[in-house]
Amino acid sequence: MTRIFDILLYALLISCALMVIRTKDLLGAAIIFSTYSLVMCLVWQLRGSPDVALTEAAVGAGVTSVLFLITVARTTRRER
Amino acid sequence: MRRALIIALLVLAAVPLLFGVSQLPPIGSTGNPTYTHVVPRYLEEGAEEAGAENIVTAVILNYRGYDTNGEVTVIFTALVAVLGVLTFAKATAAKSEPAEETPVPAPPMPVSPVTRFIVRILAPFILLFSIYMVIYGHTSPGGGFQGGTIVGALLIAVSLVSGSAQAKRLLPERIRPWLQPAAVLAFALVGVAGLWLIGPYLSFPVEGELVFLRTPWLTIIEFGIGIGGAAIVASIFWAMEGSD
Repeated sequence: MTRIFDILLYALLISCALMVIRTKDLLGAAIIFSTYSLVMCLVWQLRGSPDVALTEAAVGAGVTSVLFLITVARTTRRER
Repeated sequence: MRRALIIALLVLAAVPLLFGVSQLPPIGSTGNPTYTHVVPRYLEEGAEEAGAENIVTAVILNYRGYDTNGEVTVIFTALVAVLGVLTFAKATAAKSEPAEETPVPAPPMPVSPVTRFIVRILAPFILLFSIYMVIYGHTSPGGGFQGGTIVGALLIAVSLVSGSAQAKRLLPERIRPWLQPAAVLAFALVGVAGLWLIGPYLSFPVEGELVFLRTPWLTIIEFGIGIGGAAIVASIFWAMEGSD
């Protein structure tokens, strides 16, 4: 059961990483990237490192996403 | 042609890397160097020796205190760089184009009442949780970095919901320059105290009558990192948002 969950998480992680590169919509890319961080946070927790999981949730999924979104809002939404 | 060249270069880079990885000892084997040198010492005596039951905190703040001191300096430098670049950009823009061509500020985004309500309700609990995380960082997961970032994220949420001017009153202009380098200052304080009382810079008491200072020192550093982290995260947000 844990193994299936692991495989599911890693598949989600890899597909998020690929989609961030593929997508041309920068707003969408920022949101997918924060999803990546959230999944990564679960992975850290499952690997037994709650300290890193907390950091990932706060910094990766929270603060950097906001900074990305602000950058998109102040520049342009489409990749050229 | 260019594509083939790129693929060839990638393969050329991948072969030595994969060869190197294949030479690594198997993951999880007890004979690995990572498990034979310092790790047993950390795990067996860390809680006793470093004054923190959470081994991660013991390693980060006590055994590898120099590393963390460098890290908080790097984070503070990042803030200085962001402020420098953005303020410089603003100054040159103001100089090159006079008053008639002022950049149009982004229209304030309408915040949904649901978001506003939820942020208002949750804000005190988030703050309480982050303070708990900082105080109990040496016994349970979490610590200054995590708690501070959560406070910073909370300040960002408050800025988004009720405007930056409102949120900035929580971190007044007058004391903000002292809060931003709080982590560096806390490390300097504890480091010099160690230099004065024990021996080398940033040394913690291991035994003797000064041993009671260990946990308070860790707590001072945790609070410094927490306050500094929160101020830095919020300041970077305000600088990028353009309200500073």
